[in-house]
Amino acid sequence: MRVNRSFPALTLAVMTLYGQNPPVTYERLKNADKEPGNWLMYSSNYNSWRFSRLDRINTQNVSRLHVKWLFQARQEEKFETTPLVVDGIMYLTRPENEIHALDAETGRVMWIYRHRNPPRTYNCCGKVNRGLAILGNRLFMNTLDMHVVAVDAKSGRELWKTKMYDYTAAGGYAATGAPLALKDRVIVGMAGGERGVSGFLDAYDAATGKRLWRFNTIPQPGEPNFGTWAGDSWKTGGASTWNNGAYDPELNLVYWGTSNPWPDYNGDFRAGDNLYSCSVIALDGDTGTLKWHYQFTPHDLHDWDATQIPILLDGEFRGQRRKLMAWANRNGFYYLLDRATGEFLLAKNFVKQTWMKEFDDKGRPEVIPGNEPTPEGNDQVWPGVDGGANWMSHSYSPLTKLLYVFAREERRVFTKDAIRHPTTAAEESDRPAGRPFFNRRAPRFAPEESWGKVMAIDPPTGTTKWEHKVVSPPWGGVMATAGGLVFGGTFEGVVFALDAQTGRRLWHFAGNDKVYSTPISYLAGGKQFVSLPVGDVLITFGLD
Amino acid sequence: MTRIARKTVGVLVFAVAACAQNPLSTPQDVEVGRRLFQTHCSYCHGSSGEGGRGPDLTTGQYRLGGSPEQLYRTIRYGIPGSEMPAVRASDDDVWRMAAFVGKIGSAGLDEKARGDASAGKVVYETKGKCAVCHSIGKDGGTLGPELTDIGRRRGIGYLEESLVKPEADVPVNSRAIRVATRSGQTIVGIRLNEDDLSIQVRDTNDSLRSFLKANIKEIRRDQPSLMPAYGSVLSGKELADLVAYLSSLRGVQ
Repeated sequence: MRVNRSFPALTLAVMTLYGQNPPVTYERLKNADKEPGNWLMYSSNYNSWRFSRLDRINTQNVSRLHVKWLFQARQEEKFETTPLVVDGIMYLTRPENEIHALDAETGRVMWIYRHRNPPRTYNCCGKVNRGLAILGNRLFMNTLDMHVVAVDAKSGRELWKTKMYDYTAAGGYAATGAPLALKDRVIVGMAGGERGVSGFLDAYDAATGKRLWRFNTIPQPGEPNFGTWAGDSWKTGGASTWNNGAYDPELNLVYWGTSNPWPDYNGDFRAGDNLYSCSVIALDGDTGTLKWHYQFTPHDLHDWDATQIPILLDGEFRGQRRKLMAWANRNGFYYLLDRATGEFLLAKNFVKQTWMKEFDDKGRPEVIPGNEPTPEGNDQVWPGVDGGANWMSHSYSPLTKLLYVFAREERRVFTKDAIRHPTTAAEESDRPAGRPFFNRRAPRFAPEESWGKVMAIDPPTGTTKWEHKVVSPPWGGVMATAGGLVFGGTFEGVVFALDAQTGRRLWHFAGNDKVYSTPISYLAGGKQFVSLPVGDVLITFGLD
Repeated sequence: MTRIARKTVGVLVFAVAACAQNPLSTPQDVEVGRRLFQTHCSYCHGSSGEGGRGPDLTTGQYRLGGSPEQLYRTIRYGIPGSEMPAVRASDDDVWRMAAFVGKIGSAGLDEKARGDASAGKVVYETKGKCAVCHSIGKDGGTLGPELTDIGRRRGIGYLEESLVKPEADVPVNSRAIRVATRSGQTIVGIRLNEDDLSIQVRDTNDSLRSFLKANIKEIRRDQPSLMPAYGSVLSGKELADLVAYLSSLRGVQ
């Protein structure tokens, strides 16, 4: 299980750099795996593995893990941040749009940057932010009022601030995800799939803040696949890009997942596949041109966003070595795609599902009737509205060659919404008045009706190697480490370390508040730490 | 008045003015708020806010206050430690729901129960033996939910159903469970809280208990409600009187 014979040398290299704040070049980002002491981007590397190559905390000693320091955010919003750690400094976002630079060994704050949003912003699900990107000496953050800001990593001074879009347009736009930095630019997504927006993915010049390209996730008139939306529904179709993506430097392809089409639970006015909603898009990193796409859920009616983060891995599939993409989707299926061509290779459900009969050769699902939302509420659909997976990160370990997913098993009630146009707020009610819209016999979070599970999936086959069940469906993700461990936190705040081979829980800590994020691990002062937000506190654990 | 005091008063006036305003409270907003209320709130508060599993919202009295700002915050963030969750909706829609609740809240509270509340009090204290498990103020047991302000928190229909069919809707924190420990003990009680490490129980002797899951052999959740069904215990009149009494319990105002 011990990896990396060159690890001490690498550590030494990082230690030497510590305190000097050398710039985080594109070369460093491409080779993020060679700096296991740092956490240089949202998903740890361009493959989105969220795998820590540190093994000082391991299966033998994890029982001694304990709290070393806290960051007390003192705020009421969900604390969804993934910190970055660069050469001993931790950078994290605190809601709404603050950046805090801390000493990663002690948690002491060094500087704070605050972007002030107007009082009314148009976020669907909390005034949250998920984190930062770094390139050179610059940190990049998206804001709720649709700006991208660049901040000097040493001083916290604002270097530029670019308006992405009018945040009050349509039903309201917002940006909550972490940017992705590559080459000389940052890739930035946006949110608003519940508010009748029109989705896009942008690239900005890291030095100047000038926009380099924009890809519209809903085809515009004259573009291919424009006709996949009935009438004018394309104008308000959603298909936002609110999470993070992955990047293949060799293919120069940016991979990003897109959200649901709008209106979420009523497809009456948007007949068609509604491309490129609930899809993965592969874009040229230089130009933003679409190379390929795959739609997981055509004409979605269940808010099953495909905004999970793509996991890139190379390996054998049916005897052939390929560049692969693994994806545990909100709709309850695990997918394997060829990431060079977008070819559908396989799909298999990883949670209970009721909606899909079979896939054709191209990966198009044949839908089972009876799963549509109804005005009075359809309570027979699995997975629930929050999906088998959601935005929380998964993790891939190159040591165990397993994909770790913190999955949600849940039945919920799907109610066909009345349509309310976002700009006029005029509403057509298609509901019988006075009826309750949740089935009284389907309580949402009763332990016997819904639960969570950490799963280890074999990527080439989609088979499950083990499952570790927990009380509630989670809102946090998992991180695998070279120490043979899988870290995560439950909805009740139980922070855990599982044996990556067996799923057995080897260590736990009762955090007693909700976890809405995914752990990271890093080195500071020569020691390994694991950090995770629990409630409004970022807890950092260590051994000594 | 000193400059600082003048400034303070100015800030206070501004703050009060800010609290008094709901940016989205036109008749159209209230109407949209009414429909949003159907989606997000009616399951617990009834389709007109008359109460049910959740409190009657037409009383105009709310735990965290009834100003537009306070209603906004209550809907937006929920009430920690209660069954009231944060509502998943946009800020605008929360303001519209607050506008609707503000409107129905000003309608005032009408006495709707048809029974005799003072006769119901006697049923509560004698034949019903309700105080064995339930408390009003400082008096009574703690195995069942506290009833001090049950008339504010639950509507008439819900109270009737709870007496005749107690298992119809049991709050998550009052569900009956049976815990069997590895050391051979069996404990029946109410599930107070739970995570993957432990479970907290109020047992039938009113004792607070906590068990590490490592020490538990089995947890049975399919236990019936610990409350007896009163349909066969009380007459129709007694039931109506008891409902009227419960509905009159409005807590400390």
